[in-house]
Amino acid sequence: MSFLHLSFYSAFTLSALGLAFHRTHLISALLCLESMILSMYVALTIWPIHTQTPSSTIIPILILTFSACEAGTGLALLVASTRTHGSDHLHNFNLLQC
Amino acid sequence: MMNFVLFLSAFFILGGLAVASNPSPYYGVVGLVVASAAGCGWLVSLGVSFMSLVLVMVYLGGMLVVFVYSVSLAADPYPEAWNDWRVIGYGVGLGLVVIVGIVLGGLLECWPGGVSVNNAGVSWVRLDFGGAAMFYSWGAGLFLVGGWGLLLTLFVVLELVRGLSRGAIRAV
Repeated sequence: MSFLHLSFYSAFTLSALGLAFHRTHLISALLCLESMILSMYVALTIWPIHTQTPSSTIIPILILTFSACEAGTGLALLVASTRTHGSDHLHNFNLLQC
Repeated sequence: MMNFVLFLSAFFILGGLAVASNPSPYYGVVGLVVASAAGCGWLVSLGVSFMSLVLVMVYLGGMLVVFVYSVSLAADPYPEAWNDWRVIGYGVGLGLVVIVGIVLGGLLECWPGGVSVNNAGVSWVRLDFGGAAMFYSWGAGLFLVGGWGLLLTLFVVLELVRGLSRGAIRAV
């Protein structure tokens, strides 16, 4: 594996692990999600350089568009949670807890 | 030049580690800013400066700014900074995972190689400019789909935070 691939692969894995082992705040999980999307953007930008296909440079820009949508929705959930419970602590989401 | 790429990619990984060790959100955003700045510099050093510009304007200047002022909703009275034992534990543990993965995967065959972004002088337009311009010609459908998704998200966010017995996640 080339070093460039190793770099964004390990950044993606780290962020995915950070999302899996989240602790107190919802926004920490959202930040890990953003970090995953950042590493995906860099990976998708490096790919057309290696294959020399200019038309594939559309894909990271499109991914960024939809990640902006997802970040906005995640922050709206954060705001809704704070307005309901007073904080964004993850132990507040216990409505479906058995 | 290759050392500069290695330096930037090392900061990319370290920024990811800073976010993943889940400190107080104030400090997690710092890690994300470092990672995206390093990613932008990395893309510039590879030659695709337009993609780097898009990243810095939309991601760093749009989304991260919104995240930064949204962490004010997540304020802690006693924030866990970098010297907290829980953050250090997570950071060391996740760093060990990455290092074990690198060692098991084999580090010696990982070395960056040089590529060109203008087909070694054949193209008139650089790779990223020519590619992103296709958004307006052949990729017009994708452009419209992206715009429609953004418009839809606006209404989704409006409904989520409307509140007063008609929004989502209300306990009262």
